[in-house]
Amino acid sequence: MIATNIAPHYAGHEDRLLQPDWAEVVKVIQEAEGVSTFWLRFTDPEIQKRYHFAPGQFNMLYLPGYGEAAISMSSNPETMDRLLGHTIRHVGNVTKGITRLKVGDVVGIRGPFGNSWPMEEIKGRDVIIASGGIGLAPLRPAIYHILHNREKYGKVLLIYGARTPKDLLYPNEYETWRAAGIDVQITVDRADETWDGQVGVVPMLFYRFRIEAQKSAVLTCGPEIMIRFVIYEGLARRIPAERIYVSLERNMKCGQGSCGHCQIGSYFICKDGPVFRFDALEKYFNVEEY
Amino acid sequence: MHNKVLNINSSITLPKSEFDILLASLRELGYQTVGPRVRDESIVYVEVEKLDDLPHGYTSEQGPASFRLISGGHNRYFDAIPGAQSWKQFLFPPRAHIFSADKIERWTIQPNEEKPPRYALIGVRGCELAAIEIQDRAFLRTDFHDPVYRARRERLFILAVNCLHPAGTCFCASMETGPRVRGGYDLCLTELDDVFLVEIGSELGRDAVSRCQYESASGFVQSAAEKGLERAANEMGRTLLLDDLPSLLTDNLELEHWNEVAKRCLSCANCTQVCPTCFCWDAVDHTDLLARNTSRERVWDSCFNPQYSYVFGGTTRSNIKSRYRQWLTHKLGTWKEQYDTYGCTGCGRCITWCPEGIDLTEEVAALREEIKA
Amino acid sequence: MTTDPEIVSALKNIPWFAELKPEHLNRMVEAATLRNVHAGEELFKEGNKEDCFYFVVEGRVALDIFIPHRGKVRIYTAEPMDLIGWSATTPVIHSRTAGATVVQPGRLVAFNAEKIRQMCEEDHDFGYLFMRRIANIIAGRLMVTRLQLLDMFADPDSESSHA
Repeated sequence: MIATNIAPHYAGHEDRLLQPDWAEVVKVIQEAEGVSTFWLRFTDPEIQKRYHFAPGQFNMLYLPGYGEAAISMSSNPETMDRLLGHTIRHVGNVTKGITRLKVGDVVGIRGPFGNSWPMEEIKGRDVIIASGGIGLAPLRPAIYHILHNREKYGKVLLIYGARTPKDLLYPNEYETWRAAGIDVQITVDRADETWDGQVGVVPMLFYRFRIEAQKSAVLTCGPEIMIRFVIYEGLARRIPAERIYVSLERNMKCGQGSCGHCQIGSYFICKDGPVFRFDALEKYFNVEEY
Repeated sequence: MHNKVLNINSSITLPKSEFDILLASLRELGYQTVGPRVRDESIVYVEVEKLDDLPHGYTSEQGPASFRLISGGHNRYFDAIPGAQSWKQFLFPPRAHIFSADKIERWTIQPNEEKPPRYALIGVRGCELAAIEIQDRAFLRTDFHDPVYRARRERLFILAVNCLHPAGTCFCASMETGPRVRGGYDLCLTELDDVFLVEIGSELGRDAVSRCQYESASGFVQSAAEKGLERAANEMGRTLLLDDLPSLLTDNLELEHWNEVAKRCLSCANCTQVCPTCFCWDAVDHTDLLARNTSRERVWDSCFNPQYSYVFGGTTRSNIKSRYRQWLTHKLGTWKEQYDTYGCTGCGRCITWCPEGIDLTEEVAALREEIKA
Repeated sequence: MTTDPEIVSALKNIPWFAELKPEHLNRMVEAATLRNVHAGEELFKEGNKEDCFYFVVEGRVALDIFIPHRGKVRIYTAEPMDLIGWSATTPVIHSRTAGATVVQPGRLVAFNAEKIRQMCEEDHDFGYLFMRRIANIIAGRLMVTRLQLLDMFADPDSESSHA
């Protein structure tokens, strides 16, 4: 029913309420306008050693006096030095406050929360990763997992789009991914004079490839309207609903399935998600304002 | 004097004059005794020290958007069905300071280290006890324990009371949570005109009555209590049929009736505040101007709050219809899938304290009607 | 000049053509020419009235619309398997609504629209299949256009105090 690949869940915090551990900002990379990746390391080396996450999970980042923001990890869970990368779109009070942090400042972390992309379940399959805008961030760890285990997956197609060429995330990695056997297809909604790549929306790219429905699985994350059309295109090509995986976003406060805010139907997105199989969501998806 | 050894699950009769000794024993054991008192023409849960603090001789007449305290007519202390307050304020306080975070040279956190209070709840009705047990499922899980709730819950003493005179908005019988209290108490009393019939539920309960002068419960007293409870079960103000729940609600998100009730609902959030099971909360941050001394507080929230579902880009439930629907389909629908119990215990507070008098038993019936048609 | 077998093998990469009955495919090929195109080549301008449409076999063709004071705005790119110039297939011929420029060199199959329309008139079975294909292509174009219109990545006016 829901994606079942669950990584260690917030070990050691089962009875702590809202209390973070501190982490230091080690580097900040500007990815696009209004989007940057903060690379964090826990100040306590024991906690740093113990902390593990799976692709798709998120942390609650805490800025004292401002509040918390739910931010997915966008880095490789398996790299040696294991800095935790958080790609953040700076649009609200807390995320704008985070832009004032400099290398050496600290921020609070609670996590990891949520379930993860079903990398085990989709082994052997063709994988279509369809994402838009900031939605590529929580999928990047899944891409890294595939790169590390390339022979365990079939054809892998990454469809990624953003509003304009300037908004594309991680462009300097596309060639590396292509070289490792991922078909990377990039598109933008609006071109500028510099762009001679594809113009058109992410769901459109489904038209451009031959998809073997019975072998394929879809992982998708991005604006909810894009997700809706990606699902539509996937289903239209007869990819079964139980192999379309969606990462959802709702207002999150506690991350632990307690405060109630992130509910959709009987699911707590922070605890039963954020990754869901579409067949589990179908009944809620087209109900307006549910 | 007594010469009987008290067993758990045994029953005794306690003369009303001994009740103050019971309360005093509890306070000596370190409990704050809280119970119902009349205040501002309503009933609130505050500190009580003696039997006479309770609503002696009062009855509450309740209906949609209506609560009246009537004085006189009987001599009992526990008859008045409670007001807007519920016991949840003691386990899940409306505001709880969690920690301070201060930047001296580095950021450090001072968790709230206040000793958690020990409450003895005096007069917990069946619906209210069931509500506590429902909140236990939400706050005390294997993967996560709310520490504020747990600390208070571990120290809790429950003196439950069987309801013999339900009020106009009660429907605990439909929800199978009353009028008889079902387990989970330290002491449970049934008030007859001259005495209390007291059932011992735990060792704590036994210790609390040990200094009182009690008698063993006679067959006459026990059968009077039984008859009273049976009569009470048939005097409910309302009924709610459960047969086709939860799917009646979870499968019917687009019925016309949701638009109808939305016209009346003010999204004022009264129902969620008075509801003894509602558990939604928010984390609020406070800071001084320099952002050097900050704190985090955990406060009650409500799904009727327009900001409740805010994400960047807008709120997912921006109109009243969607928020009312969320509340009802959660309370009597998805709650069951989440916690294996309904979120409603039939206390009727949401009906009494809704300024529009919206009655969820009627709303469910209306949805049912629309499907049949 | 291009020979028929070259056109056939180019078209076979496109699933719809691969599934056509041989007689339909052959008649379509009779109305087709294979074109090699180089980057920067202008296929047609806005306002042109030429009566043909193109299937992209390889390469990329961009559609631009000229807006006074803004210049040429790129609204779409057509990739292999896509169709450019569908307006020529509908009963009323009007001029091109956008200009088409080759962005990445490749090959196109150009179809004589009048001959294809005649085929549809004479053989309604074929006509149905062809028009159904056109309808799907236009539906896809409509979906893209709507999502571009909705500007799904845009920053709405932000409200305060939330991440």
